[in-house]
Amino acid sequence: MTAEQIYFVADFNVETFARLVTNTALPGSMARIAPAGPVVAALAAGAPGTDWISVVWTRPESVVQQFQRAIAFDQVDVDAALEETRDFAAATARFARSTRATFVLSWVLPPWHRGYGPLEMRPGIGIGSLVARMNLTLAEQLGGESNVFVLDPARWMASVGGRGWSEKQWYAAKSPFSAMLLEAAALDLAAAIAGIEGTSRRLVILDLDDVLWGGAVGETGWEGLKLGGHDYIGEAFVGFQRALKGLTRRGIQLAIVSKNDEATVLDALDSHPEMILRRTDFAGWRINWRDKAENVAAVLAEIGLGAESAVFIDDSAVERARVAAAVPGILVPEWPLDPTAFRETLGSLRCFDSVSLTSEDRARTAMYSAERARAASASAAASLDEWMASLEVRVSVEPLAKRNLERAAQLFNKTNQMNLSTRRLTADELMRWSDEEMRTVLTLRVADRFGDSGLTGMIGIERSGTAAVLVDFLLSCRVMGRGVERTMLHVAVAQARALGATELRAEYQPTARNRPCLEFFRSAGLRYDGDRTFGWDLTLPFEKPAYVAVVGDGSPALTQWM
Amino acid sequence: MHRDQALAIVYGAIDAVNRQQPAAQRLPKSPDAIIVGPSGRLDSLGIVNLILAIEERALDAIGEPVRLLDEGSLIDEDGPFRNVESLARLLETLSTISKKP
Repeated sequence: MTAEQIYFVADFNVETFARLVTNTALPGSMARIAPAGPVVAALAAGAPGTDWISVVWTRPESVVQQFQRAIAFDQVDVDAALEETRDFAAATARFARSTRATFVLSWVLPPWHRGYGPLEMRPGIGIGSLVARMNLTLAEQLGGESNVFVLDPARWMASVGGRGWSEKQWYAAKSPFSAMLLEAAALDLAAAIAGIEGTSRRLVILDLDDVLWGGAVGETGWEGLKLGGHDYIGEAFVGFQRALKGLTRRGIQLAIVSKNDEATVLDALDSHPEMILRRTDFAGWRINWRDKAENVAAVLAEIGLGAESAVFIDDSAVERARVAAAVPGILVPEWPLDPTAFRETLGSLRCFDSVSLTSEDRARTAMYSAERARAASASAAASLDEWMASLEVRVSVEPLAKRNLERAAQLFNKTNQMNLSTRRLTADELMRWSDEEMRTVLTLRVADRFGDSGLTGMIGIERSGTAAVLVDFLLSCRVMGRGVERTMLHVAVAQARALGATELRAEYQPTARNRPCLEFFRSAGLRYDGDRTFGWDLTLPFEKPAYVAVVGDGSPALTQWM
Repeated sequence: MHRDQALAIVYGAIDAVNRQQPAAQRLPKSPDAIIVGPSGRLDSLGIVNLILAIEERALDAIGEPVRLLDEGSLIDEDGPFRNVESLARLLETLSTISKKP
């Protein structure tokens, strides 16, 4: 990943924040601060470049004149205040188009602000009511901008216990926010940027006894576990399980690594009446008496994720230290002994931020469950060919478009193993690239008789002279090994022929994780031209596996060649 | 507040301010570390942030506000902000005054 370049636009002294971002939260990143002056002028001037991430942080009184009247306890025209807010949002949206991504901070009042007391939330009177409506208007106006994200400083204010606002800091250094609040802000900004880069964590690997429930299931059976019931500790374990279940609805997977007897644990998951997490909520597990680090590595391999995508939670400091040392890259948070602190500790982890939420995310647990059924059917099949044929794989091809852009960008930035070039682009950048003449990005949805895996493949092709260059070729690890890779090459060749090229070229860009892609290209039957470059003569079609059905996008040019 | 406690508070504040500093510009936690002066590693904003961080920690420690920040001292190379030790001494003195009935 290249060093982040971050551009700060603010109407207060944002230097301390910029320093915390570049020196602690995102070490190695580079900051630039917009020249002093009105924020609207800085927004109109644009960012230093479209590869910059920007942060726009203002005080409400500096961008909404009606708000100045509000804090002076003068009569306020609420409609005019909201109109000014919409104007500011429009200026921010225009500015954001000159950036890679823009974070806009919503507005907060000082914690000591009492405003009109009991009338504070009364519409037309309260300053709290006004700022809430302005914030909602700002968020709604910017909600349609795919590269703009509104962050809420109120959470940071609450997290530092009334110390977030510093009058002395304001008078002495022209920043209303304390360094303590700015530290929380810098860490959250870094987490959000990780979301853009696709480097957020996607898997939580859990120990069981005294983590998901109280007690040792192997000793007491599920009937003796502390879970739910009329007991605050039991309720805390239920609360923690609910929080974990919530993560699965955001596309974050769960897995188990536990020193236990597998049959006993699965019986507990299936049978305990107050268990929130059931067997189907886990993407994988290793429940045995082997070394936990070894089991963590096995789970990662099975799910197809790297250690840098995973979090390991265990109540034993010894096991945490072992896994942290033996599995580089995995996040192993310090874990409290008190179960009532589990939900809070999980919720405080800044590692799950995502800049999109797709139907694929929400359905991911079901997809992994389908994958287990698929694997079971593979074991039962007489041969690999018979199994492949029994899957009834269907690949649907459609061009990159607004309706699939969010998921496509997410896949584009998270796929590591089957990825030819491992480019990283935001949704806007990807669409802009695709919109250029002589370029095409196709998305592929994969389904079989066990379920729909959703949008899991992408191909990017650029016409260059008489050749078509396969710039992007990426496939989610969830659908690898079902003949989809060859089908993608079949589609890529068809698309290149539709573009009128005579040769397809593919250059493999090595990374630490994409060797499976090289192995596939080596085995696919393409011509190797040296220097990690592969070629295909487009006078010939590239045959797809017979057992895969392809549904085209309906465009005559592509369909003709498929 | 005694000297060791004052020094511990200053060191805690240095930890906080060092998170704002590039690795090469971090202030050492030592009594003779220069704060104000040509060889100091903090610029004026860094010094203000350090002093405010000390005030915050002092408030937590003794339950009374201690006002250290003084415009003149921010640039006085021989003043109480000149190094960590002199700053701790100032904190010790002012905290004692603020605790007097």
